[in-house]
Amino acid sequence: MVQPTPAAAPGQTPGTSDAAQGMNVKARTQTQLVIRRFLRHRGAIAGMALLFFVIALAVTSIGAGPIPGWWDKNHIGTADLVNGGRPTLGLWPGFLGGGGVHLGEHPFGQDNIGRDYFAVVMRGTQVSLVIAVIVGVVATAVGTVIGAVAGYFRGAAEATLMRATDLMITIPTLLFAAMVAVMWGNQNIVTLGLVLGAVTWTQTARLVRGEVLALREKEFVEAARSVGTSAARIIFKHLLPNVIGIIVVSVTLAISSAILLESALSFLGLGVQAPDTSLGKIINEYRTAMMTRPWLFYWPGAFIIATALSINFIGDGLRDAFDPRQNRVRA
Amino acid sequence: MLAFITRRLVTSVLIFFSATFVVYIMAANLGDPLADLRELPPQDREAAIADRTERMNLDKPVVARYFLWLGGVLTGDLGTNRVGQDVNLMLERALGATLQLVLAATVLSIVIGVGIGVISALRQYSALDLGVTFGVFVCFSLPVFWVATLLKQYGAIEFNDWLADPSLAWWVIGLIALFMGAVFSSLLVTDRRTRLMAFGVAAAVTAVLLAVLSATAWFADPGLGPIVIGLTAGAAAVGFATLFSGLEWNPTMKAAAICAALGLVSHFALLPFLDDPTWWFMGLLALLTVAICWAVGYFVGGELYRRSAVPVSILTGLFTAAVIFVDRMLQSFASFSESVRGRPISTIGASTPNYSGSFWDHGLDSFGSLILPTMALLLISLASYTRYSRASMLEVMNQDYVRTARAKGLPERTVILRHAFRNGLIPITTLVAFDIGTVLGGAVIIETVFGWRAMGDLLITGINERDPNPVMAFFLVAGTAIVVFNMIADIVYAYLDPRIRLS
Amino acid sequence: MSMNTPIDPSAALATSSAATDALAESAEEVHTAYTLADSKPPLDEEVLRVENLTVEFPTDEGSVKAVRGVSYTVRAREVLGIVGESGSGKSVSSMAVMGLLPRSARVRGRVLYRGQDLLAMRPKQQRSLRGRKIAMVFQDPMTSLNPVHTVGDQLAEAVLAHELVPRAKAMARAKEMLELVGIPQADRRLRAYPHEFSGGMRQRVVIAMAIINDPDVIIADEPTTALDVTVQAQILEKLLEVKDAVNAAVVMITHDLGVIAGMAHRTLVMYAGKPVEIGATDEVFYRPHMPYTAGLLGSIPSMEGDRTERLRPIVGTPPSLIHLPQGCPFTPRCPLATDECRENEPELLPVPGATGKAGDTPAPSGAGPIGEHRAACHHSDRLGAAEDATVFFRTEAELRAEREEGR
Repeated sequence: MVQPTPAAAPGQTPGTSDAAQGMNVKARTQTQLVIRRFLRHRGAIAGMALLFFVIALAVTSIGAGPIPGWWDKNHIGTADLVNGGRPTLGLWPGFLGGGGVHLGEHPFGQDNIGRDYFAVVMRGTQVSLVIAVIVGVVATAVGTVIGAVAGYFRGAAEATLMRATDLMITIPTLLFAAMVAVMWGNQNIVTLGLVLGAVTWTQTARLVRGEVLALREKEFVEAARSVGTSAARIIFKHLLPNVIGIIVVSVTLAISSAILLESALSFLGLGVQAPDTSLGKIINEYRTAMMTRPWLFYWPGAFIIATALSINFIGDGLRDAFDPRQNRVRA
Repeated sequence: MLAFITRRLVTSVLIFFSATFVVYIMAANLGDPLADLRELPPQDREAAIADRTERMNLDKPVVARYFLWLGGVLTGDLGTNRVGQDVNLMLERALGATLQLVLAATVLSIVIGVGIGVISALRQYSALDLGVTFGVFVCFSLPVFWVATLLKQYGAIEFNDWLADPSLAWWVIGLIALFMGAVFSSLLVTDRRTRLMAFGVAAAVTAVLLAVLSATAWFADPGLGPIVIGLTAGAAAVGFATLFSGLEWNPTMKAAAICAALGLVSHFALLPFLDDPTWWFMGLLALLTVAICWAVGYFVGGELYRRSAVPVSILTGLFTAAVIFVDRMLQSFASFSESVRGRPISTIGASTPNYSGSFWDHGLDSFGSLILPTMALLLISLASYTRYSRASMLEVMNQDYVRTARAKGLPERTVILRHAFRNGLIPITTLVAFDIGTVLGGAVIIETVFGWRAMGDLLITGINERDPNPVMAFFLVAGTAIVVFNMIADIVYAYLDPRIRLS
Repeated sequence: MSMNTPIDPSAALATSSAATDALAESAEEVHTAYTLADSKPPLDEEVLRVENLTVEFPTDEGSVKAVRGVSYTVRAREVLGIVGESGSGKSVSSMAVMGLLPRSARVRGRVLYRGQDLLAMRPKQQRSLRGRKIAMVFQDPMTSLNPVHTVGDQLAEAVLAHELVPRAKAMARAKEMLELVGIPQADRRLRAYPHEFSGGMRQRVVIAMAIINDPDVIIADEPTTALDVTVQAQILEKLLEVKDAVNAAVVMITHDLGVIAGMAHRTLVMYAGKPVEIGATDEVFYRPHMPYTAGLLGSIPSMEGDRTERLRPIVGTPPSLIHLPQGCPFTPRCPLATDECRENEPELLPVPGATGKAGDTPAPSGAGPIGEHRAACHHSDRLGAAEDATVFFRTEAELRAEREEGR
């Protein structure tokens, strides 16, 4: 009762500066607040930087589509083994007594038949990233729509969709993903991404449904319904914009788990098929060389970890930014 | 409550059967199961194709094949694979190893993950918490096959090599000591000086211990001996009693001490009976331990302390028993290591083929082949349990009822154990149900890396050969596990939360 | 939920309509059954003395000065009301007294329970007083009980935390307490879980929990804010009753002046972390000497007199506790503010003609003799001279608003 609403504030003297009185309340939009909070998250910023570096390196080095690459070797051509195929990359600066920072002939080394391993890993990174992004986007789109519909409607629609989700959850993701990958995914990487996305949407669906269930009871939805707004319009215009935070976070988490899923499938020989290659496939090809040529094992692994880790940190930053009080973790 | 569980069970079973249909249809449409036969020379081709067509009922529509398979399953017959091997037999051989792996990894990751998560929540923003949080993110980003390969290289091959001359380099000792110091000092909430002291003491003790162990080549012929057993049991008694009723000499502490002493006595008394026991005998001993400790707790605790003395006594007794068990097993290590030509940590298979030895040798053999796959699998779910329980604890610690509990003047450990932890566990039960599917998937990958011929092999071979029956055998087990774990999660949830139980 | 207290439909309506109306009504209803006048008078024995208490929370943006020097005393069986807006430091100061603030909080000053300084005690010693000698009733009964333990367990636990008695005995005490706070079928209710109780019943349980160890001080932090209006009155009565049953002092924290009017012997008004006025409740209500108090009183709708008069809430918002303005923190909202107010923060001084109770010893740091009317304002004489301070404040506020519009 003693707390006047901000609307009562105009009675105040414009002359006495608010800031001087320690009462500066800057109006910020929701988006500005989210961005501000995101930029304060150190892990997320580091993740952004690392991810940008990985993408830039993968795209510019060997080129992609119309983009020409600056690296003069490709992932197919072979050459004579330099220094037994060991990496020539040097990161020990000269003034510290090292050999100086340089790339050398084959920065990541060469495989047993003399292919430039840097080009191979870059090619694998490109493929893995493309698949992961497709999976993330498809899974989030499908999961969002299913979750929103299941949350908004009562009765048959909800029951059917929830049972379908339950059914999906009963089947281990790896089994499901392996089967769809073998059935449809071994033609090209885009199809692989699409079919993997089609089986990994359940988490997003559950999250979105939970949120929509809470929102559908809110007055603004009631109001929209009472003036005869169609269900589709309510879902897309009124409900989904309110769960945008969850959706954005879902995308990042879906991408990072897709990287791991794709690499695991490719490792088992069920994912990306030759002549395409991916980070998981590379590791599988060279894992017997662990003893003799360890770099063949470490480089692709390092790129998987770097990508997944940076995306996970970005996701964490986004979650904090959208809902700072929410302590919930990824489900 | 019962109605709730029955209803959930019926829905789960129905959903599970629909899922078998979906999986079967997909598994039967993976590709051409006759592909390899079409490469055969023409004279054999026809007969081979006809033979397999008949065995796999390829002339019938897929849906009919599903119902034939389902009929078989309901009578306990899982059919044959495409070359006519009995899938029941294959499953029987595969199941044990995988279940061991999955259960061990799940139980360990729940216990360790929840433990780390809770501690890191209670020490929010400490170095420990930040380290744990970062570690969790790293774990979330690790490809499991990559870690498994790494573990195989360093945890098995190089470790076995190292055991031949087990000494630690000074810098390894130093690093481990610093790490232990850091962990122990960040567990404390006191002033800087006490923390520094804890750091110093923990680091020094670790360093000295490791140096002695390294110098005496303990790792090649390990064992604990009565002194270490006694000390460990005593520490456990004090620890459990402190946790339940505070660090003071009260009947609870007394009961725990008696149990620890009894344990030490039985270590000597049981020696002659433990040369080659059976699991039955060990189980009996465990039951006996529980019974004796219960009695000690009940009578020593008396009316006022019974509620804490009984669980503390039982925990102390079981812990001491576990230490004695480990000691006896370690004593067999040297001879076991010799019998497997100095390669105790297995790199291939779930057990050494045709191995025969005592109870302890077999135990070490399974341990040697399980430890690394379990560690790799742990990594997958440990991270989610840690993160989940940390978040859950943080949320609960901010609840009003925790403040109420403090306002009553309860000691902090009671506030945490009885009020916060109990509530914090509730959301974690749901995670168990979600997690089991992921763990099963992880097990498939890890088994491939470690060359186990278990469930993973069944699945991968089945998919590669476009052979539905082995795939379905895998799914029957995996799906059942998921349904069962969901059930358990529901029941535990209802047990923990009276709002569900009573409605 | 079988035990819902019968709710008067009109009262339920009132809560959902304008909040101010409902709050004013609650003030009326306090005077129905067991009032302050019926309850036993305060004893001379001083049980709690707070001296110059300050609390700061370090944050990224700077240090939040939540409490900036609070002093008061309470005697046995006395009710002290602490009133203020949210963020005025009233809750934080009581949490500091209980020792329940997060570790990050920096607490200074002295909190003397019968002469012993709680803030200087070892944690274990402090804990043994908490819940036994100083107990607390919280704001929201829906969340302040643990959902997974039975009510009986939670009550018995409070006994067992401080006394070595068999559980059965603690349970018997719990039952006794439930009966005392007016919960029927206490035997059966002991085995029930909090979610089986209505809000009012839960608050009774919380009160039972607070008095189960026969405390000397009960701190009630907005005990009725989360409750229905009819239930509010019952809970307040219950508090007065149990106060007499255990001879405890009560510190009643609220933002609701209506509650204070019927409940407290003395009232302390807080603004921006500082006490701005203290005195006997009647004195503070009828002769406020601080514009903020006058403004607060003026923003309650009056049931008597000229009903056509417009309500005039205090304009503006409380200052940021990180960057406090120089001078009196109420200056930006005060119609009486002058340059002096902007430069110097006024001290809490006895108002002209203030009377303390004879024989009271003055406190060392500003608390003054018990009962002395004090106010922190450079213009307290102007308010004191006015016939009706509330009307005076309102007129001044209107004049100032006109002046500013004219500019």
